[in-house]
Amino acid sequence: MTPDALNRLVAQLAKLPGIGEKTAQRLAFHLLRAPPELARGLAQSLTEVVDRVRLCSRCFSLTEGEAGAPCGFCTDTRRDDRVLCVVEGIADELALERTREFRGRYHVLHGALSPLEGIGPDQLRIRELLVRLQGQAFEEVIVATNPDVEGEATALYLTRLLKPMGLKVTRLAQGLPMGGDLEYADQATLARALSARRDL
Amino acid sequence: MERFVEEGLVLSAVEYGEADKIVTFLTKGRGRLSAFAAGARKSKRRFAGALEPGTHLKAQLVERRGDTYRLDKVDVVQSFFHVRDDLALLARSLYCLELVRELTRDAEPHPELFEALRAYLVLLDAKKAGPTSLLAFELQALSMAGFRPRFFPCASCGQDIGDAPRFDPDAGGVLCQGCALRVAASVPVAAGVAKSLAALQAGLRTPLESDVRARARELLNLFIAHHLGRRLKSVDFMVQVGVD
Repeated sequence: MTPDALNRLVAQLAKLPGIGEKTAQRLAFHLLRAPPELARGLAQSLTEVVDRVRLCSRCFSLTEGEAGAPCGFCTDTRRDDRVLCVVEGIADELALERTREFRGRYHVLHGALSPLEGIGPDQLRIRELLVRLQGQAFEEVIVATNPDVEGEATALYLTRLLKPMGLKVTRLAQGLPMGGDLEYADQATLARALSARRDL
Repeated sequence: MERFVEEGLVLSAVEYGEADKIVTFLTKGRGRLSAFAAGARKSKRRFAGALEPGTHLKAQLVERRGDTYRLDKVDVVQSFFHVRDDLALLARSLYCLELVRELTRDAEPHPELFEALRAYLVLLDAKKAGPTSLLAFELQALSMAGFRPRFFPCASCGQDIGDAPRFDPDAGGVLCQGCALRVAASVPVAAGVAKSLAALQAGLRTPLESDVRARARELLNLFIAHHLGRRLKSVDFMVQVGVD
């Protein structure tokens, strides 16, 4: 008979995304066979992440500081205070940061408007964005939401709110990937690239 | 396993598992149909951008056991990109897609509804579809799906609706004062609003005043929610972003 503690661990692991019963069992047996430090370290990391990681009070990215304290992106004095980049999620913020091209501030919405899912402006951090823009002297807002229907709806809604505030509102360009090949480009992207062509 | 190509409009696409999507189409020949698109969220070439709501495409499908289909390949006919330039157009297009998705059932062909939806998306894409055209499309879609509301004359006795008509979705539309006394629940409606909606049903395309549109919207929301058993999600979105 399998010990209850092991069954509980398998059941907990199987709740994670992408992990089924078999994988959960394999992970549990691996933890059991490995040196105890591995399991203890994992347990400690899980507790720490739950207890210490919270949302930044300013940009709603992740931070490990005191409750109500801003994150590293918000406190970094080398960043440009005139440009704000609005993203759907933290993964998008990290992707932009990897480009090393953007040195302004961020604001994480935690989702996108989704009419078919019933997600409206009240379920996103849009009110907080407006409060932030009223309190700080930003000149440009880059709307970096995804180029899908939900992302476009969010970008259009934000543009409608931000333009009257006298801000320059820009949107990430859409089209062919760098180093891409026209022959292998998908129809939708190529059509979009064609309609958004620019003068040389 | 039957393999076939169907012309369709994407009504919605939901994420499934780690990398897949389940896409619901309104097809020209087979009505509403949901298909499993394996790897749709990871593959940048096979389906990229083509499974966005509203896309008109030719889908290569494979019938699997039961009522499920597998989506193998798509060929985009029209993407309606210009709809995405305006929040009102985008909100209207998504509302229509949700309405059609909820009004139809799997494997019940509606070629006329497919054509009406496609034509309405073309109008939106050309930026020629205002708020009145949305009401007109809704009335058209309701009729084609077998839920035609009656606004004039009285839905019960067939006489004039008079000066104080009432609207009862259960009775199928607008009732005269006398017939309204015999139903349990009804809401008051201005005779002018009822006649404007009847004119839209008859094919008249004169833009309606905003207050008439607002009252017409309330009646249609009530009627649609009554017959579908729930309020459409995109209705709330339109209210929240101030679009009609």
